[in-house]
Amino acid sequence: MIIPNPLIYFDKVSKVYSPTSIALEDVSFTIAPNEFISVVGQSGAGKSTLLKLLLAEDRPTSGKVFFESSDIHAASREELPFIRRRMGVVFQDYRLLPQKTAYENVAFALEAGGKEDDDIKHDVPQVLELVGLMDKSWHFPHELSGGEKQRVAIARAIVSRPDVVIADEPTGNLDPLNTLEIIRLLEKVNDLGTTVILATHDKEIINSLKRRVVTLEKGKLVRDEQRGRYVL
Amino acid sequence: MAMDKITFRRILKWGFLNFFRNGVVSAATVLVISLSIFMIGSVIVGSAFLSGIISSLEEKVDISAYFKTGAPEEQILALKKDLEALPEVRAVKYISADEALAAFRERHIGDEAILQSLEVVGANPFSSSLEIKAHDSSKYDAISKFLEKGSYGGILDADSSGQKKITYRQNQFVIDRLSSLLSTSRRIGFAVSLILAVIALMVAYSTVRLAIYNSRDEISVMQLVGASRAFIRGPFLVEGIIHGIIASFFTLALLYPAFWLMGNKTSALFGGVNVFQYFLSNILQIFFILLVAGVLLGVLSAYIAIRRYLKV
Ligand SMILES: Nc1ncnc2c1ncn2[C@@H]1O[C@H](COP(=O)(O)OP(=O)(O)OP(=O)(O)O)[C@@H](O)[C@H]1O
Ligand SMILES: [Mg+2]
Repeated sequence: MIIPNPLIYFDKVSKVYSPTSIALEDVSFTIAPNEFISVVGQSGAGKSTLLKLLLAEDRPTSGKVFFESSDIHAASREELPFIRRRMGVVFQDYRLLPQKTAYENVAFALEAGGKEDDDIKHDVPQVLELVGLMDKSWHFPHELSGGEKQRVAIARAIVSRPDVVIADEPTGNLDPLNTLEIIRLLEKVNDLGTTVILATHDKEIINSLKRRVVTLEKGKLVRDEQRGRYVL
Repeated sequence: MAMDKITFRRILKWGFLNFFRNGVVSAATVLVISLSIFMIGSVIVGSAFLSGIISSLEEKVDISAYFKTGAPEEQILALKKDLEALPEVRAVKYISADEALAAFRERHIGDEAILQSLEVVGANPFSSSLEIKAHDSSKYDAISKFLEKGSYGGILDADSSGQKKITYRQNQFVIDRLSSLLSTSRRIGFAVSLILAVIALMVAYSTVRLAIYNSRDEISVMQLVGASRAFIRGPFLVEGIIHGIIASFFTLALLYPAFWLMGNKTSALFGGVNVFQYFLSNILQIFFILLVAGVLLGVLSAYIAIRRYLKV
């Protein structure tokens, strides 16, 4: 399938950690703006590796990853923060800053981007409202439940209005009810016009989403379906 | 990219907030930096004090050469000139027999018995002398040899066995011992200071590194959220400055009673020379050194330690 103006383009990407551990092998696909794409696969299939390469946390062994038209891994140390401010990240283990309150965690993303104080005062409560955590703004992460932490993480990921939200098993540590809420939130984010990339191995989620599904198997892209179901 | 005002203000804010929120870790870091600069401070005051004592002891060492009664003054002054030309010699002072007598009278003023005995002798019993100070105490032997071998042997006074009256010969043992003691204590003092300073630096750096190592996950999250390196590093450097400033005040507060206690002991030992006095009269310079050392230690340790966690 050819997408005219892809937001993200994986071009024959391989990641070899060692001869016995080939995380990705010749993976190519594109992601269009406003898409909601799920990356599925068994444990060790290479989902996290794929997202890490997109975030430039690691470099591919071969191949290139493009964000809009620029090669992410060709970016300099000074350029990289600017690219990352256009991506929001959510992890299974939340990765909030433990010394900062919910409000400060969300505000930090904007402060790092050099936003004006007035904008921050306006945007942060709005986003916390969206994830339903207005009343817990001044709680530190250790004073929040897992579901609440993840909602703060989502608020942080979307507050700077990124082009894409990247979520790596965001529901991995949550009970079914919280899982549902987080997925609803991601759908809402997508409805508001943001691309969402979701890595998961939760069959229920995939089957209820009815969106595009990319399946990885031992580092290879084996299936790419527009209204995917979880088949393994 | 030059840092804008808003970023700078946020870095300051997070530096202060992190310092307070890190509670125990901040306190521990301040304590370790304090210990380090405490060592540096005591070494500085201690070695300044030690070298003060050494110089004042060296100042006390001199040798005197006594002349036969009636030795012509122009010959003595010629010898003085020759001595002053020697590279080892720092100063030569001529004391005529009359001056020696006057000094003796001065010293024993009020002591009738002694002054009376002078009257009994009638003539001036003192000989004129040259008082010679060397640049350092190891040179007295050479000077003494020059006096004995030189062409001035004739005017120098001698005792019944022919031994010239040069005080070095009489005090040789004490002077030699003192001279080697002084130079070893200088060397040991320097070595000990160096070792202490290096240990202090290493301990402080390790503590700061450990604290930053504990923040490594946070640092990588900040990078993923799009924070620039300067924005991540900044608050750590601000914290380092705060650590250093507090540590220097704390250390000064520790040094004060420490030197006060030592002051009482040392003035009893060295008669008048008091470390506490030295500390008090130089307290501003000492505080300044502590402040600079503490802030440098805090900031540089943080700067070096954070580098490895800013790799991505
Ligand atoms: N830093 C690393 N060094 C060596 N091998 C690694 C490293 N990171 C991942 N791997 C290997 O790469 C492969 C893919 O790992 P990855 O984390 O991408 O899987 P995943 O699909 O996210 O699995 P899970 O669902 O369990 O999170 C695995 O075989 C893993 O052992
Ligand atoms: Mg994973």
